[in-house]
Amino acid sequence: MTPTINRQPANPGRRLLLAWMVAIFVFLYLPIIVIIIYSFNGGRNLYVWTEWSTHWYGVAIDNPRALSALYVSIRTALINAVIAVAFGVFAGIALARRKGAWTVPYLGLIFVILGIPELVSAIGQMIWFDRLGIFDGITRLSIGHSLFNVAVVALIVRARAEGLGETLEHAAADLGARPWRSFIDITLPLMFPAVLAGLLLSFTFSFDDVIISLFVQRPGTSTFPIYILSAMKAGLKGDVAALAVMMLIVSMIGIAIAAWLIARGGRGRTLGGLLG
Amino acid sequence: MAELTADTVPIRIHRRGMPRWTMAWPALAWWTVFFIVPLLWIVVYSFGSRPGAEAPGPVALETLSFDNYRQALSEIFFRVFQITMRTAGLGTILCALFGFPVAYAIAMHVPARWRSILVFLLIVPYWTSFLLRTFAWRIILAPQGTLSDVLQALGILSRPLLILDSNAAVQLGIVYNYLPVMILPIYVALERIDTSLIRASMDLGAGPLRTFLQVTLPLAMPGLLGGLVLTFILAAGDYVVPTILGGTKGLMVGNLIATQILASQNLPLGSAMAVMLIGLLAGVLILAGFVLFVLQRLLKLARGAPL
Repeated sequence: MTPTINRQPANPGRRLLLAWMVAIFVFLYLPIIVIIIYSFNGGRNLYVWTEWSTHWYGVAIDNPRALSALYVSIRTALINAVIAVAFGVFAGIALARRKGAWTVPYLGLIFVILGIPELVSAIGQMIWFDRLGIFDGITRLSIGHSLFNVAVVALIVRARAEGLGETLEHAAADLGARPWRSFIDITLPLMFPAVLAGLLLSFTFSFDDVIISLFVQRPGTSTFPIYILSAMKAGLKGDVAALAVMMLIVSMIGIAIAAWLIARGGRGRTLGGLLG
Repeated sequence: MAELTADTVPIRIHRRGMPRWTMAWPALAWWTVFFIVPLLWIVVYSFGSRPGAEAPGPVALETLSFDNYRQALSEIFFRVFQITMRTAGLGTILCALFGFPVAYAIAMHVPARWRSILVFLLIVPYWTSFLLRTFAWRIILAPQGTLSDVLQALGILSRPLLILDSNAAVQLGIVYNYLPVMILPIYVALERIDTSLIRASMDLGAGPLRTFLQVTLPLAMPGLLGGLVLTFILAAGDYVVPTILGGTKGLMVGNLIATQILASQNLPLGSAMAVMLIGLLAGVLILAGFVLFVLQRLLKLARGAPL
């Protein structure tokens, strides 16, 4: 028996609490399960269940507009993830290893970036990109998505660096390694799981983004979620649900791997810290 | 020379050459150019006006005025603002009521090895596509859908379910989408509580309820407050949920701002509305910080006072 169980004796209240917890988890997963099931609905009306069929998946794949939107999304997500990691890793290491008076305002900025309504940040970017007038559609989207993700990567890397402590870097210094040597040979490799998690999260967040894309996109470079949103507004059909489910599967796999990588290093607390 | 402790070594090494936080500069530069500057532009645009028919560009900045703010305070906007605050506020309270027991159960009543799995299960749906999870509710709540049929067959409803495209659907979407945002900070706070405090309280004769109210709840307060603030801010600025579930009857500020900019091409008015939204949210944040400060003060007083 783990000590947790002995925290309080078993009683009806505890059972009720656990039942409530299970109910909330069912609630959280209900829409995901429903949309997966209904994407296999063969009927003409998405809402009215008729029969199991993969008919709409065939229709969905045979859709050049959706495929070109998917291509835009993948390119954007990749460029955005590279930017996020390039800037975020160094910011994260600095936050953990070079603490000082600068840390508090810097973290404050990060929380403003993460907490500001996406809509507001999207409007600002639209204005600024239009004024600059030098970026093409994909660049606008990639930069727009990267701002949030640089902050995410910085926090993940910071958590990993703090979790590991500086023992190995000290050892390297004691053995005569110069700072940059120990940075490249010790610090960066140690950050690998966090970097990988950051890469996956940045990719997925960009791949799923709606609001920034809606404002900064240019004609001809609509992302996949924007295509789905406009298709939804035009009236829901089975092929949109099928596309939606394919997108959901991709992002859930990415998220699951990233969350697992983070949780392994930070024992759940990092995950909570990222949201809270 | 003083002995070298673990703390002095890295400082000595890093001191040579560049400042300590050089590595944090590239990200800061990136954010300054593409995050802070754009926000400042919103403020500038909010004082501009719509250009005349033949003038180029989306905004005229020759004469700056508060006209957009005056217009933004018009009756329609004010009403939508009120609805938004009510929806976000009620949503936040519901999230706290539904979410606190879940966070409590995970932190206090679940074996340690299960906890990280549950946190993982909580985060995965939150981090995956917001759009699709919201969209799925249209299938669940559809008047011709399965839920509607079942409720009618059971005699709970006498006619098809008509909740979609209303404020009620938006409310449900908000609670659904932001529940994990509420649960996680509370969980983090509860998980940190030293359980010997709870045992001590019980040993000293306080009942479970009194222990919860006087020990557990005050210690969980920072997490609860964090969850409340975060949920409220995210819900108040939401655009996706009202767009998908609200139809024309479930408008929120987010829709109004987006409409001004994307459909009406009125960038100055949209910018003014965005500035007002941010101002209001900042006000909420400051208020929450103040409440937390006062609560902690009161807690210290209560602890210091003889019973």
